[in-house]
Amino acid sequence: MGGEEDDDDEDEEDALVGVVISRMPPPSSIKKEFLKKWLVGLKALSNSRSSSTSKKEMSVLERKKAIKLSADVAMASLKNGTTSWSRALIQNASKDGNNRTLLKSMLGSEYDKKLRIGSTTTSIMCSKGIRNTTVLRRSCGLRRARKISKDQRVRAGLMAKRLVKKRTQVLRSLVPGGEYMDEYSLFEETLDYIMSLRAQVDVMRRLANASAFSSKS
Amino acid sequence: MDLGDKDKVEHEKSSEDPSNFHHSGISSNWHFESANLANTSTGLVPTGNSMSVCKEDLVGSSSCSSASMVESFCPSLWEQPTNPNTLGFCDINVQTTASTSGALGFRKGLPGSFRAGIEKNLDHGWNPQGIMMKGGMFLPTAAAMLPQSLSQFPADAAFIERAARFSCFDSGNFSDMMNPINMPDSISLYTKGARMMPGPQAILGGNKFRSVAEEDQPQRNEQETVGGSKTVSMSIDHVATEGNPQKNESPRRSHDEAKLGVGGSGNESDEAEFSGGGAEEEASILVCAGRQPSPNKGIGLKKRKRGGQDTELDHTKGVPEQPGEPAKHSSEIQPKVDQSPCSTANKPNGKNGKQGSQTSENPKEDYIHVRARRGQATNSHSLAERVRREKISERMKFLQDLVPGCSKVTGKAVMLDEIINYVQSLQRQVEFLSMKLATVNPRLDFNIEGLLAKDILQSRAGPSSTLGFTPDMATPYTGMLQPPQSGLIQPGLSGLGNSSDALQRTINSQLTALGGGFKEPNPQLPNMWDDELNNVVQMSLGAGALISSQELSGSLPLGHMKVEL
Repeated sequence: MGGEEDDDDEDEEDALVGVVISRMPPPSSIKKEFLKKWLVGLKALSNSRSSSTSKKEMSVLERKKAIKLSADVAMASLKNGTTSWSRALIQNASKDGNNRTLLKSMLGSEYDKKLRIGSTTTSIMCSKGIRNTTVLRRSCGLRRARKISKDQRVRAGLMAKRLVKKRTQVLRSLVPGGEYMDEYSLFEETLDYIMSLRAQVDVMRRLANASAFSSKS
Repeated sequence: MDLGDKDKVEHEKSSEDPSNFHHSGISSNWHFESANLANTSTGLVPTGNSMSVCKEDLVGSSSCSSASMVESFCPSLWEQPTNPNTLGFCDINVQTTASTSGALGFRKGLPGSFRAGIEKNLDHGWNPQGIMMKGGMFLPTAAAMLPQSLSQFPADAAFIERAARFSCFDSGNFSDMMNPINMPDSISLYTKGARMMPGPQAILGGNKFRSVAEEDQPQRNEQETVGGSKTVSMSIDHVATEGNPQKNESPRRSHDEAKLGVGGSGNESDEAEFSGGGAEEEASILVCAGRQPSPNKGIGLKKRKRGGQDTELDHTKGVPEQPGEPAKHSSEIQPKVDQSPCSTANKPNGKNGKQGSQTSENPKEDYIHVRARRGQATNSHSLAERVRREKISERMKFLQDLVPGCSKVTGKAVMLDEIINYVQSLQRQVEFLSMKLATVNPRLDFNIEGLLAKDILQSRAGPSSTLGFTPDMATPYTGMLQPPQSGLIQPGLSGLGNSSDALQRTINSQLTALGGGFKEPNPQLPNMWDDELNNVVQMSLGAGALISSQELSGSLPLGHMKVEL
């Protein structure tokens, strides 16, 4: 009996701990940093727009994209290139030529360095064919797994593996730069990415609420 | 199968039963064990009013003829609706079922023991009823369900046993667990069958079952003689509770995992195997059916009681050996279970606590030294894989804590699903919020708002959990209506060459003017906007272009706005 009761308590505790950790707001220091960088980027955006000769008013969508981009880059830059997803994110952003100014202003002189570092790593990985191998492995694994097995357990196990693989693929597509990571680092990156996404959402929401509030008042 | 088993049982038990059973009449029931329905019918017999006749017939009869008589009664029993009378036999049934269903915990028959014979017979479908007998009221309806369900499926003893166990648990969780993921046909079969079982129980619910089970416990306490079976049940509970309320595709995995985990220490004896098997069965079923510790408790206790009963029956010889094994296995299971709750892929987790790999303990060394655990392959590949899997499971644990709502869910596929959903929702939130900000701030000026916002941001110390997304859904709509107008105003005003502050003030005033007018229609509209944010905004923008000149005057054509939207 005691053992079972302990299990109950542990379950409850674990649940509580999980809830606490998941409900814990991201640290405010990160949020402040993010906000600062983000505002810098936005300022740069608005300045560039106002100073541009086109004087074309940005549509809502354009604005939204700019806001989102600046937010993402700000969040990624906070990481200082330590995490692979942040690097990948910045790289993706820099691929679009329109964003150069924004990125430069936000990231400063380190921008080019980071870009080169990031690009080299990804190029190395590409050259090594890591991505290809993972893709190949996935496809081969799927094919292998489809052998007809009469044992239901084995079938279920294979099915489970297939599901896991499918979902891992989806996760790769979600996390920036996930295509190039192995499973283990994918999880780590996902962890980090989730944390920063939460901080980002938090700040953005507050800002949106604040601006809505101030506009109402 | 029926006859052969019956004979076996008769030979083994004929002399032993009367002494051990409280009801001699019931002892003769052993002869009919093989008949799936027979046992329950006999169980019911003592208490059922109409069954009193049967009882007399059964008493003292040890021939197959009486078996046939009982069998003839069975159909009638099945057709009967739940008899309130049957409830009265709790005591009786408890004991009989305890003894007979002790087999439930032991899937792989005991070597040459009486129990083995029973178990083999019980395997073929009697078990579910044994469990249900405990609940009393379950029996007739559940039993009625069984013949149909049983006929549908291949005579897979393991499946039936599992299905029976499924039926013991709160059926509420069941469909959730069995359902959502794409399942192969085999598994869908299981779900069908298993779902059928809990049907009658749904009426009573797992709680009642539990309470009944717990009522029975005190009775069994006296009968508890085997600590080993206790540990077996406890280990079962542990494995079940720890491991993994998973969805359907993973019952197999937890099954395997528990099995390997338990038996990983070496297949020392049949008891070890069967306790492992029992544990695995329990794990898989308990896992799938109920993420509730209490049903496990109840059943674990029941198992214990049944184990006690069994030993009581005759098997003092076999019994002492068994506790040793289960005890050992339970201790092994526990550390294993404790340490790897989430990864179902971690098969070789036999003795985690004792000889854990030293991956995390050698940070200085370049190589990771891993010690092969006892009873596991020492192939380098498998070792490396095990290390990899453990690392992944560690990460999964972190993710479990991070992603809300994952604390109870374990299993890679499900966890990944949750993680994916969470990441997607976060990304969507970002998109949404950026859109909101874009509409609120036409010129991407957050200066003043930024200053104000900081104060507001800091003053709003409320727990802004990322889950609180939906409350925000309403606010952006209000925001949506206002900004299009202000956005159109902006170019006009900026042309005047006002300072940014003045602009902001005018914007704010315009917004308030607009907002004041808009507030009423807003609450009604939010529902419409769910998926069409962009479209609506563009529409309003396009429509607003016509109105911009009027807006400058500060008056709002509310009618216009409503029409456009």
